[in-house]
Amino acid sequence: MNQAFFIQLAVSGVAVAAMVGLAAWANIARPVQPLDEARARQLLAEEFPERTLEGLWVAVDGLGAVAKSRAMALVLCRLGDGYVARQIPWAQALAASFKDGRISIDLADVAAPRAVIALDAWPPKGPQGELAA
Amino acid sequence: MKATIDPVTLATPFFILTVILEIVLARFGKVEARYETKDTATSLTMGLFSTLSGLPVAGLSFAAAVWIYQHRLFDIPMTAVWAWVAVFLLEDLTYYWFHRISHERRVWWAAHVNHHSSQHYNLSTALRQTWTGGVAGTWALWLPLSFLGFPPAMVAIQKGVSLVYQYWIHTEAIRRLPGWFEAVMNTPSHHRVHHARNPRYLDKNYAGILIVWDRLFGTFQPELDEEPCRYGLVHNLGTFNILRVAFHEWIGIAADIVRAPRHLPGWVFGPPGWSPDGSRDTSASLKAAWQARQGAVPSAPEREAGLLPQQRQAET
Repeated sequence: MNQAFFIQLAVSGVAVAAMVGLAAWANIARPVQPLDEARARQLLAEEFPERTLEGLWVAVDGLGAVAKSRAMALVLCRLGDGYVARQIPWAQALAASFKDGRISIDLADVAAPRAVIALDAWPPKGPQGELAA
Repeated sequence: MKATIDPVTLATPFFILTVILEIVLARFGKVEARYETKDTATSLTMGLFSTLSGLPVAGLSFAAAVWIYQHRLFDIPMTAVWAWVAVFLLEDLTYYWFHRISHERRVWWAAHVNHHSSQHYNLSTALRQTWTGGVAGTWALWLPLSFLGFPPAMVAIQKGVSLVYQYWIHTEAIRRLPGWFEAVMNTPSHHRVHHARNPRYLDKNYAGILIVWDRLFGTFQPELDEEPCRYGLVHNLGTFNILRVAFHEWIGIAADIVRAPRHLPGWVFGPPGWSPDGSRDTSASLKAAWQARQGAVPSAPEREAGLLPQQRQAET
């Protein structure tokens, strides 16, 4: 490594900052509306086509959703202008901490460590008011 | 290993200018391109530091190439046109197989996965380069070229040319190119398929410069208008943390080995998603499930191409 290498690296760093700034200014991310139930179902169907949903709870801010499918929880959360989905055991989702109107679900995945979803209550109630456990 | 003439270094201003151009043209609606700020920052920062991360192994790979070259079979002159044609073809063939094992075996996927981790497909995605390619050892795949007699610098230059070629195909701004070009060369359309997570498109189009290798080895899949590409990983990353982007699959391998060490060969050399009980998704299982859902109904382009169901099965 010589001085020219570090100069090139520094100049490239400045260029990276400029390009990121330009991308922010351009505001050309995908337009994303807050999730509603229909959109959440559509995304979950794309991610987990084999699964049927027994219950679906969409975040109050539309940034995520949790669904129950047999013994599994299907978790959907927004990242940038896209969504990330994982399935975990339902019991693991039920054990999520609930504080200040948000559940924080440990996804046990180094690539997606945690999902934070704004819900009215947790654990959720089913259609008849029973605990969805 | 860096050659005296490094095409990637020479092309860096071109990379920067074209990213700027793509963003500005997209901003004013002249081309199709989507840039999300944090995603762009992740891609470009990965690219920036990939130049540093390759240095520790550069000496070893250079020494290995020189040592192999000292035991070469033939003397191939760097000044002959035929030699450049030959190294172009052989390097591109080597790249095809490097790229294929980088998708089909987990230990090499761990080094390559970050390049596919963006949910976007734009010129910045091209620069989302590996930090761990050197330690993964895939550079050894190019050593036979030096053993044949191609000077290591010649091989390194051609590798750089290939990398620069592959840069411009990371775009949605170019839809389709003339038929003859699409038939022979890797193009934005072909490479969009490669970056897509739709089951139909998984593990297809490994080409570097010439798409003919995919056609020859049965991994070619055309982009279908009826099935737009959805980009990223089968299980997309839930974070923009650059360390997780760079190392998550390596950590996953280590965690699996600690949990069940007797399955080490499968964890390391099995396909991505392999597990002893088959409880995880691999490309093969995802494709099988997708095909089961599709039934035997061929798509419109496949009907037009006259593909029979069994041919379609073989291609997808």
